[in-house]
Amino acid sequence: MIRRSLAALALTLLPPAAKAHVSEQGFVLLLPTDLYILGGVATVALTVLLLTIVPAPAIARLFRPLALNLPRLPILARLTGFASLAALLLLVATGLFGPTDPMRNPLTLSVWTVFWIGIVAVQALVFDVWRWINPFIAAARLGASIGIHPPFRTRLKTGKLPALLMFLAFAGFLLADPAPTDPPRLAAIALAYVAATLAATWAFGPRWLVQGEFLTVLMRTYARVAPFGRGRLGLPGWRILKSPVPGNAFAVFMLCLLGSGSFDGLNETFWWLQILGVNPLEFPGRSAIITPTLLGLLAMNAALVLAYALTIRLGARLAGGASFTQCFRTFAPSILPIAAGYHVAHYLASFLVDIQYVQSLTSTILGGPELHVTTGFFNTLATVRVIWLTQAGAVIIGHVLAILVAHALALRLHGDHRRAMLSQLPLALFMVAYTLFGLWLLASPRGV
Amino acid sequence: MTNSTKSTITRRGALKTLGAGAGAAASLPLWARYTHAQSSEPIRIGFQVHRTGIGAAYGRWYDRTTMAAVKKINDEGGINGRMVEIVAEDDGTDPKRGAEVVEKFATQHNCDIAFGTLFSHVVIGSAPRAGELKLPYFVVSEGHHVASGMLNRYTMQPGITDVKSQVQAMAPYVASTLGKKVTMIFPDFAFGHDHRDYFTAALEAQGGQVLEHIAIPPAETSFTKYFPKIPRDTEVLYHVMVGPAVLTFVKELGEFFGPSAPPLFGFIDSLEAVDISSPGLEFLEGSYFWEGNPRYAQADQTEYDKAYRAAVGVDDNGASLSDPKDISTYAHMFGCWETLHTVKAGMEAAGYGGPDDRGKLIEAVEAMTDMPEGHDHPQGAKRFNGKTHQVFGHQYITQVNSGRLDLVHTTSIEDTLYPDEVDYTTQPL
Repeated sequence: MIRRSLAALALTLLPPAAKAHVSEQGFVLLLPTDLYILGGVATVALTVLLLTIVPAPAIARLFRPLALNLPRLPILARLTGFASLAALLLLVATGLFGPTDPMRNPLTLSVWTVFWIGIVAVQALVFDVWRWINPFIAAARLGASIGIHPPFRTRLKTGKLPALLMFLAFAGFLLADPAPTDPPRLAAIALAYVAATLAATWAFGPRWLVQGEFLTVLMRTYARVAPFGRGRLGLPGWRILKSPVPGNAFAVFMLCLLGSGSFDGLNETFWWLQILGVNPLEFPGRSAIITPTLLGLLAMNAALVLAYALTIRLGARLAGGASFTQCFRTFAPSILPIAAGYHVAHYLASFLVDIQYVQSLTSTILGGPELHVTTGFFNTLATVRVIWLTQAGAVIIGHVLAILVAHALALRLHGDHRRAMLSQLPLALFMVAYTLFGLWLLASPRGV
Repeated sequence: MTNSTKSTITRRGALKTLGAGAGAAASLPLWARYTHAQSSEPIRIGFQVHRTGIGAAYGRWYDRTTMAAVKKINDEGGINGRMVEIVAEDDGTDPKRGAEVVEKFATQHNCDIAFGTLFSHVVIGSAPRAGELKLPYFVVSEGHHVASGMLNRYTMQPGITDVKSQVQAMAPYVASTLGKKVTMIFPDFAFGHDHRDYFTAALEAQGGQVLEHIAIPPAETSFTKYFPKIPRDTEVLYHVMVGPAVLTFVKELGEFFGPSAPPLFGFIDSLEAVDISSPGLEFLEGSYFWEGNPRYAQADQTEYDKAYRAAVGVDDNGASLSDPKDISTYAHMFGCWETLHTVKAGMEAAGYGGPDDRGKLIEAVEAMTDMPEGHDHPQGAKRFNGKTHQVFGHQYITQVNSGRLDLVHTTSIEDTLYPDEVDYTTQPL
């Protein structure tokens, strides 16, 4: 015990000789990111200006979707849902009993790379894929088919508060846990979550999936940004205009998608590490900063909700006519394209690497060799520029869409163009400022 | 073969066994090796790897090198006729997790030994647990913490030299060839301070002098304001910047000095896994680097380096055979290869049969001294110090020449030696 304490003491007294790696950040620092950021912010600001002269009907037309004659395949969706449930259980088994190396383990790669980065992106950028692969709906159906009747069938009065709390817990695990990629640890948590969700679904009925099960809530929320949906195709965000106004907890949930996503970039910057008193060139490891990370996550979300509320209050006062709460809830979904843009921007670089581990794993499962995982594209200025501009583009497009969506929502709420503009002005300025913040995040040196 | 697990290991006996040839298992008839390997439990090596966290770029290459070394060892009959199996666990480049991983190796995975990991803080965080569990812990971190006496009898560094010997071995060449008046630029934390302290002392011993120590705050990303502090009569500029701002540092240095810069001397740690021909690095043309193992295949490349490169999948430019832009961590990763071969030699000398022989394995490795250059030691000959648990070896100085690093000097092993700071053999097993 004493020896261990002494070693711990030595550890604090003798900081390690760490070798922070140059990585693609070295090239990002060589890029003229100041100019790129200026261009991005100007684009978003220009969108705001343009909206002052675009007639209201044109905005409404912009978001009118085209009907596609797609066949509905409910039976197929049931089959894929059951297949997804089976795959989930199989993956949990590989997490418990499979390779301990996270980059060779099917569960870790499936959860973090395929699902959390890839499928969430497809959900927001393409279509509602979750509807096809939701394992929990399949589990709920399974429960019903074996005669489980939910004893509590009434609507939960909490709205989506349980989902909001579960999402924050998930974000805490993702950002602060020392080993979220450790296969057995991830398997245990996934298994516990699946079991808890099944119990809740069998207790409250499928309603739980849209009020308490944060993944379904998150995926259905992101599906509102997707261009494809309900057999139609439109400008991303058109589904937001077709969706009902969210309740309070749901509106905060939407804001927290952005807040948590933003913190998941901020927490890697030199700026944040210096606040924590951590030398960014010798990051001490996640376990040394669990509490500050959790507090930072909550603070970032609180700050975002507060800033949003202030802009909404100011806008409501300028425009008059609609209550603060009404405005707060109405405009919250306009944040979703920004959150989706951040998701793409933040994870692009790690996805480019980690998806190769998925390919390599697939190769070995099929009896082939392990494939080489390259990071060569982080090693040339040209490729790093393409990656950076793609990330920046995702952030900028997200903000432009958000401003368009917010404007369309305002027109619908207020009815007249002038009041809509006034109500939107503070929020639009906030979004311009957030563009600056988002692009600064991408350009900042990182220590993790 | 020395399968008598009860044999007591003496220093002499171990040396004799080692001297008998590389891997006594190889002397078994092929069928015997085969059947033995088939029927025995594998030797399980817990591989602590930086899969995530700041060490992940190194971890990728440490993993490849480790897998290549294990393949070679197994193709040659394994260790004591038993196949080697790697049990990899991610330490997250996190000291606390490092200790947990070491514990898992001992208690959950039934590993015979633990091995791996580069970042010093992970080693320092993990070694006490390895000592408590009496699990031999072979590290590849080049920190001075092993030889300084900070760790314990179960922690050894037999495959890579430590930073103290690397830095001090640079002084004779710098003073005799490049200049005696040196200005040092280094990041203002432990890594930089090690360089400052070891090199300043070593240069003074050579009759040279460090004119100025310029410590740069670790979070700095713009450096021009520090350059006017470089004294005008500086003959050599010694730099060891690390982190994402390294390329900016070099670029700004070039813009500041133009063609009239003093000779530059740096550690490749700054640019490990970075393409030397990257834009902004043109200014490095003609400058000198320490390399643990020359990234570019040299004119007098040994057959050992050739075979090693092929095994780990690296081309003559130090890049992956699959992607010429994917540069390996060539200066460091040989340490994994050589450590595993030393483990093999140690287990064979100890007649290692299972966890009960862990103490014998430690004694067998402590008994080692000279390790000749060869397929097991492609970086060069080594000399192991059983008391300090640290290996010593040749260091390489290369010069940037048309965007590649050409060898200009190889230090002697003697250049790297310093007085013992600990005798781990006095600690109980």
